[in-house]
Amino acid sequence: MPGTSEQITRLREEGMAAIAAARSESDLLDAKGRFFGKKGAVSGILKGVAALPVEERKAVGELANRTRAELESAFDARLAGIRDQERHRSEGRERIDVTLPGRGPMPGHRHPVSQTMSEIISVFRRLGFSVQGGPDVEKDYYNFEALNFPPEHPARDMQDTFYVESAAGDLVLRTHTSPVQIRTMERMKPPVRIIAPGTVYRSDSDITHSPMFHQVEGLAVDRDITMADLKGLLTEFCRMTFGPTKPVRFRPSYFPFTEPSAEMDIQCVICGGSGCRVCKESGWLEILGAGMVDPTVFGFVGYDPEEYSGFAFGMGIERIAMLRHGISDIRLLFENDIRFLSQF
Amino acid sequence: MKIPYSWLKEFIDTRLSPSQAQEALTMAGVEVSSCSFLGEGLDSVVTARILEMRPHPDADRLSLCKVTDGSTTFGIVCGAKNMKAGDAVALAKIGARLPNGVEIKKAKIRGQASEGMLCSEQELKLAEASAGIMILPEDTAPGKPLADALGLSDWLLEVEITPNRGDCLSVLGVAREIASITGEKVVLPDVSFPEEGEPIGDLVRIDVSDPDLCPRYTARAISGVTIAPSPDWMRQRLTLCGIRPINNIVDVTNYLLLEVGQPMHAFDLDRLRGRRIDVRAPKETLTFTTLDGSERKIDPGMLLIRDGEGPVAVAGVMGGANSEVVDGTTRVLFESAHFSPPSIRRTAKRLGLSSEASYRFERGVDPAGTVYAADRAVALLSRFAPLSVAKGVIDVGGENVKPRSVPFRPERATRIMGKVYAPEACLEIFARLGFPVADNGTGTWNVTVPTHRFDVEREIDLVEEVARLSGYDSIPATYPESKAPEFSADDRFVDIQERAFDFLRGRGFSQAVNFSFVAGRTWERLGAFLGFDPADAVRLVNPISDDSTLMRPHLLTGLLSNAADNVRRFIDDVRLYEGGKAFGKSYVEGHFEEARLGVILCGKRLPGDWSGADAPADFFDMKGVVEPLLLHLCASPVHVVPTRLRPFFEEGKAADILRDGEVVAWFGAIRKELLASFELTGPVFYGEIRLAKATASPPPPGRYAPLPKFPPVFRDVACVFPAEVPVGDVLAMVREVSPEVEKAGVFDIFTGEKIGDGNKSVGIRVKLQSLDRTLTEAEVHSIHSKIVNLLENRFGGKIRTS
Repeated sequence: MPGTSEQITRLREEGMAAIAAARSESDLLDAKGRFFGKKGAVSGILKGVAALPVEERKAVGELANRTRAELESAFDARLAGIRDQERHRSEGRERIDVTLPGRGPMPGHRHPVSQTMSEIISVFRRLGFSVQGGPDVEKDYYNFEALNFPPEHPARDMQDTFYVESAAGDLVLRTHTSPVQIRTMERMKPPVRIIAPGTVYRSDSDITHSPMFHQVEGLAVDRDITMADLKGLLTEFCRMTFGPTKPVRFRPSYFPFTEPSAEMDIQCVICGGSGCRVCKESGWLEILGAGMVDPTVFGFVGYDPEEYSGFAFGMGIERIAMLRHGISDIRLLFENDIRFLSQF
Repeated sequence: MKIPYSWLKEFIDTRLSPSQAQEALTMAGVEVSSCSFLGEGLDSVVTARILEMRPHPDADRLSLCKVTDGSTTFGIVCGAKNMKAGDAVALAKIGARLPNGVEIKKAKIRGQASEGMLCSEQELKLAEASAGIMILPEDTAPGKPLADALGLSDWLLEVEITPNRGDCLSVLGVAREIASITGEKVVLPDVSFPEEGEPIGDLVRIDVSDPDLCPRYTARAISGVTIAPSPDWMRQRLTLCGIRPINNIVDVTNYLLLEVGQPMHAFDLDRLRGRRIDVRAPKETLTFTTLDGSERKIDPGMLLIRDGEGPVAVAGVMGGANSEVVDGTTRVLFESAHFSPPSIRRTAKRLGLSSEASYRFERGVDPAGTVYAADRAVALLSRFAPLSVAKGVIDVGGENVKPRSVPFRPERATRIMGKVYAPEACLEIFARLGFPVADNGTGTWNVTVPTHRFDVEREIDLVEEVARLSGYDSIPATYPESKAPEFSADDRFVDIQERAFDFLRGRGFSQAVNFSFVAGRTWERLGAFLGFDPADAVRLVNPISDDSTLMRPHLLTGLLSNAADNVRRFIDDVRLYEGGKAFGKSYVEGHFEEARLGVILCGKRLPGDWSGADAPADFFDMKGVVEPLLLHLCASPVHVVPTRLRPFFEEGKAADILRDGEVVAWFGAIRKELLASFELTGPVFYGEIRLAKATASPPPPGRYAPLPKFPPVFRDVACVFPAEVPVGDVLAMVREVSPEVEKAGVFDIFTGEKIGDGNKSVGIRVKLQSLDRTLTEAEVHSIHSKIVNLLENRFGGKIRTS
């Protein structure tokens, strides 16, 4: 019965086409019913195989079974595809756009000076220094006299001073955080190991000077404190602040309240030492002043300079923050423009 | 101070190049901030002579010049007209890059080849402006580098002198410093000259009536001089060092000031009345005209140089118009004196008059150098001006000048520096310094310090000399042995402040830093709104501007103007905070300072929100920052109460926060008048926390209470109250009704016609909970009744049934 084989082949093609054309699960079930379900056309042929002549039975039976298997597997694949599509369709209706901003404020920004100050404080606290504060409106005695700036001393010209109205006429806005050294030593006996962060004032204003700025002062007094200790500490500080490979140098300088005195320079962060406008072609940037506490200062606080020695250091925070962040005009630091603050 | 390298070389034949000298001096503590070659940019500029000059055929304003450098002839097109054939000029050859940046290339100008450029002083940066090209002296030989011809093959060192090193404010001082570093020798120029005039004692009589203020007064006299310009080399050096040349007499005094650091003054001897000098401070106030033409008020105690009738100079500061050298002067008295530094400083400061002389006297001038300076001035002058020198020198007080002896223990240097300094090394350094040492075998040396080193008075100063001259590079880097530091109250405050800053940052606030001084006129104008009492203000005597005359009584105005500035820059949503001090007067200590934290907020409640919740921020957004911040910092209950004491807030929209009965913060809506004067349209919310006060006592650790094992019961009550009833009080009382009331909160509030004008409806949710049993229906009902009773009878509420 060659007609039966041809019939099966035709049913196979029609069945495959119906499966491929199915757009939904019900279309697909419909196709299954028509072609290879229990009551489908291929099943019908299989049922009729027994009636066929013996010589045809085997061939037709095999063809019909194979065709039904092929249609079933096409059906399964298509069913999976349709279910997948449907799941996607229904999920799409509930899916959210995860790229939209979250609710609630994004974090604000720390002022670069405060950020730098905070980091410097934490470096020195890790190195064993404790914080001490002091007043901004300070007595001349603490700001100058006890720090070995006698009344008619030209060193007073190093710092343009703001004077504060007072009955005794002895108040100034502190020009440095160094008065905290005196206040601390008056209050406690050695060992002393403090840092004094704070606001200081000098009557000077241009792109690198602000009438108010910030300093961190340090003081350590004990038996056998040496300049070598100072150099070691400050070298470590510079490594922690500017990176371990940044070259530093330590050179003699002058402050009335330290003797010997020193300044510490780091290699210019802008030009890397080859010389530029920022470092005035020297390749070095002055970062801090320091020295061994002058015996005269010990005299003011009643420490015996033969028994104790100590070092002190001080640095301007704005300058360090400006170098770290590449800020060229100090005035930007006090304008509080949110577009500026948002950069840090 | 600027010092030409060539001048230094006259005092010390150093092997250090200019840049080596810069480095060595800097590393020894005498900072040389720059070292510049004067002939910079003059590499291919040579002297030349114009052979021929004719008009350019195609351009009226140009000329064609043939110039020679002695061997080659160049054709140059030139736009200037001030030269003629035969003139010596400055020729920039092809390839030269001039100091003003211009590069000289071969060019054709209007068809004529130009093989270089004839330069003007301006183009060579030798003058600010010039009318034509530079014409050199007639006898200039062609073909020499211009830098050599002009004496510009030299370097200018700019030395930054610290206040202790007044001795380095001169060529001689810096030369001595180089000698201390290298061990080379300083050689003083010879100052011999014939003394052919009358004895000086016959010409003038000098008395020092105030020897404390004037320890030494030296004078020399000359006659037969003609006032004229100084030679070019002297004028050039003075100009390089920033001093304007005047005439041969004045210039020589200024030259000596720069060279040996001795300020000198030249009097016209014939204008000194009574031919006498008396150095004394007046007992009475008087006026005197200094040579800059200003009339000065002289107070008692200011040292004057007087002649027979009155003042002729303010000692060490400035001479007088009445005795200065003038064109017709023929006889001159040179003063070379030593004045007491504090006296000069006081006088200069009070007169508001700082001169090169006073600057040096304030810092200390070598009292041993007065005679040498006077002699050197006369010797120099006699080289280029015919004159006759009076016999002898007057020297009052010279016998008192003695070097100082300072004890020194080499072991002390080692102890202070943390580096071993061998006695031989110390001796070597003192030898380089020229400090003789006597070692009497006790371990303590006597070091003789010459009079020019004012700053070396004590052993520690000698330690510094040893340390700096052996180089700070050689100091080892050790680490101070750690002693357990005390954790101070200020450490705690720093931590608290950090936590506050972090909290605010997390809430979207950025940090501002404002000046602590504010504009007094703003505070006075807006005083009523700022709560400003002028009597409490801490004022500056010498503010830098009108915007910074007093110390801020609180932090509001800084943040308010920051908000206004940002709004003006189209940033409408402002969230800023500032940590800083507020200042005021106090009767106990004169003034007080208090650590504060200011917070400002305006714009939208949720900036950048896209879900339609873009409502403007209100009072409760500020409360929702300040109150939780306080709880975050001090973890103990705070109470918010309405306040009328803060005039910067809108009435009815202001509150204080109390902790332990003390006001630790306030917040509210800024009042309209203030907003208007800061050009803000508002609303703006502000809070200020007394940070130290608020966190003064650290909270005790939290105590554990057993957790409930039985289920809670929730009850909602809706109640209409008169609008003025404070819900916070209602809730507080509800919580007190019974121990079973675990929580009471608001879930809804509204106003409107439905509930009547002047009323508000408040929905209160109560959580009832017992630790030891499940509450029965009857118990819950009883508590609920008590609450209703409280709401109605205590607060005038009406329960809404639905």
